[in-house]
Amino acid sequence: MKRQQVIIGIVALVLGVLLFATPFMFIGITAVKSAAEASHLGLSLPSKWLFWENFMAVIKARNYMLLLAYFNSTVITVGAISLLAVSAAMIGYVIQRRPSKWNGFIYALILAGLMIPPAVVPTIWLLKELHLFKTLHGMILIQVAYGLSFSVLLFRSFIASIPRDLDEAAIIDGAKPWQVFFKVILPLLKPITITVVLVQSVTIFNDFTNPLYYLPGKDNVTVQLTLYNFQSQFSSQMNLLFMNILLVTIPPLIMFIFFNKQIVKGMTAGAVKG
Amino acid sequence: MASVKLKNIHKEFNGVKILKGIDLDVNDGEFCVFVGPSGCGKSTLLRIISGLDDASSGEIEIADKDVTHADPIDRGIAMVFQSYALYPHLTVRDNIGFGLSLAKRPKNEINERVNTAAKMLQLEALLDRKPKDLSGGQRQRVAIGRAIVRNPEVFLFDEPLSNLDAALRSKMRLELTELHAELNATMIYVTHDQIEAMTMADKIVVLNAGHVEQVGTPMELYHHPKTPFVAGFIGSPKMNLFEGQTAQEHGADIYGIRPEHLTLSTQTGKWQGVIKHIEHLGADVIVHIQVQALGTLVARADGDFAVTTGSEIYATPQQGREHFLSK
Ligand SMILES: Nc1ncnc2c1ncn2[C@@H]1O[C@H](COP(=O)(O)OP(=O)(O)OP(=O)(O)O)[C@@H](O)[C@H]1O
Ligand SMILES: [Mg+2]
Repeated sequence: MKRQQVIIGIVALVLGVLLFATPFMFIGITAVKSAAEASHLGLSLPSKWLFWENFMAVIKARNYMLLLAYFNSTVITVGAISLLAVSAAMIGYVIQRRPSKWNGFIYALILAGLMIPPAVVPTIWLLKELHLFKTLHGMILIQVAYGLSFSVLLFRSFIASIPRDLDEAAIIDGAKPWQVFFKVILPLLKPITITVVLVQSVTIFNDFTNPLYYLPGKDNVTVQLTLYNFQSQFSSQMNLLFMNILLVTIPPLIMFIFFNKQIVKGMTAGAVKG
Repeated sequence: MASVKLKNIHKEFNGVKILKGIDLDVNDGEFCVFVGPSGCGKSTLLRIISGLDDASSGEIEIADKDVTHADPIDRGIAMVFQSYALYPHLTVRDNIGFGLSLAKRPKNEINERVNTAAKMLQLEALLDRKPKDLSGGQRQRVAIGRAIVRNPEVFLFDEPLSNLDAALRSKMRLELTELHAELNATMIYVTHDQIEAMTMADKIVVLNAGHVEQVGTPMELYHHPKTPFVAGFIGSPKMNLFEGQTAQEHGADIYGIRPEHLTLSTQTGKWQGVIKHIEHLGADVIVHIQVQALGTLVARADGDFAVTTGSEIYATPQQGREHFLSK
């Protein structure tokens, strides 16, 4: 490598670290400061590390609201993801493998789901009519609906890379259509399923606006909404607000750190060998 | 075991006629090969027999039962695909036993039958591997094992050897022939390779553009081709075919003579020509001769027949080896 290249590389790295790591450091440092120190909003180190105190204060705030929010968010995420992955895989399989005259129409719907922004007021009206407004399962259905288009497209293109001969070999072996899907195709979808599960669960877990619209009420609070609730209360207690941010950011971050490789693999994986 | 009868099978895709009335009897225990150029409908016909596709019209009987509208599993057939189509997530053992486990056979029966099939195909050492850890030839054997284990009445093969290299292919040809003798099952085998057809078949069905050109034993097709297409398709190098005067002298449209049925001489003969091109195959030499009255004539001679490009040569057809065909 030339000297110049080395210098450019180092500069780029330093810039990258500043851009990506500074916000995290800022969150981390502010979260352990005292209220007075935190109000300056600086990057200076705290004079006293108050991790435990701030942590407990946030947890206990508003009658353990954060724990309830964790529970709600987990229920929504797990419920929505299970439904989403299974139905997206099945829909993707059917539209890839059984072309029919409906396909154009179905594609139009999928693209519409990707492109047309959801209308909040009619959706709320519909949820109310179905008695699903302000309920967790209503929220789950909303998340499934919003994530379905993208997931179906991912599954569909992955299934297109699985040779049709496999389906036919299974049919010759006596598999019923549902057995072809569950015994032959589904096991081969592992890489893309992991990708869909990770990407969508982070999106759903971190969702702020949709729970804000469709899931009002103290008992229905989700993790991102705790920030919203706390923000007014903690305007003089930046340290607690940032501790809350820290706690909310951690689960998705852990997911990304651990499953980084799988996500990329699922995105790029194509043909099944063998 | 079972015979296969096809009655007036038609197939069209989106209005395009692919099969135009196929009638065919495959006898019990026969090794029947479908040959024909690419796109003539061999795979389509095989898929119709297997039940993966439906015929547009016509009837299919297997073992004297009408199976025209039956599901593949109810036809008593097994199929080996060109791409092998092994299940990538299952071990060799589970690949072979997949059909039996779907049929809910007891575990020990599955094990026993898988082991028997594996033994027959020398796959015992590979039973716990995944398909991706096998060579092409081994994968092919697993695919065959998957067919054998179900004890089908009819085996269907769609170009099973075309992904293998030449040496392995000739080895597998032999193994398949032995397998056929051992199982004594009816086998229908699709290929576009006429050497495979000649070496393995009891009966060859030559297909062309969606219809049957001729049915017969390999030697019948070689010695008595009924149409110019069959004459040109069976045999390598291809038969010399000429329209015009030579044919008309005998009241036919087309005159044919195989390269191996021409006698070459430097002194005298029926046709005189100039050598344009020579292919040395070792045991044989293939000579391309430019003959004024005919065009290019291809002849096969002994490997040590001394010839050089550009020299004059005489070719004479052997008595009784000439073919006179009508269009
Ligand atoms: N599903 C389909 N839809 C439309 N046309 C098809 C379909 N399947 C096959 N065909 C057409 O039918 C014709 C015969 O195809 P087929 O696969 O039977 O040929 P083949 O004899 O097996 O050729 P090859 O030796 O190349 O495998 C081809 O022209 C092909 O384009
Ligand atoms: Mg084919």
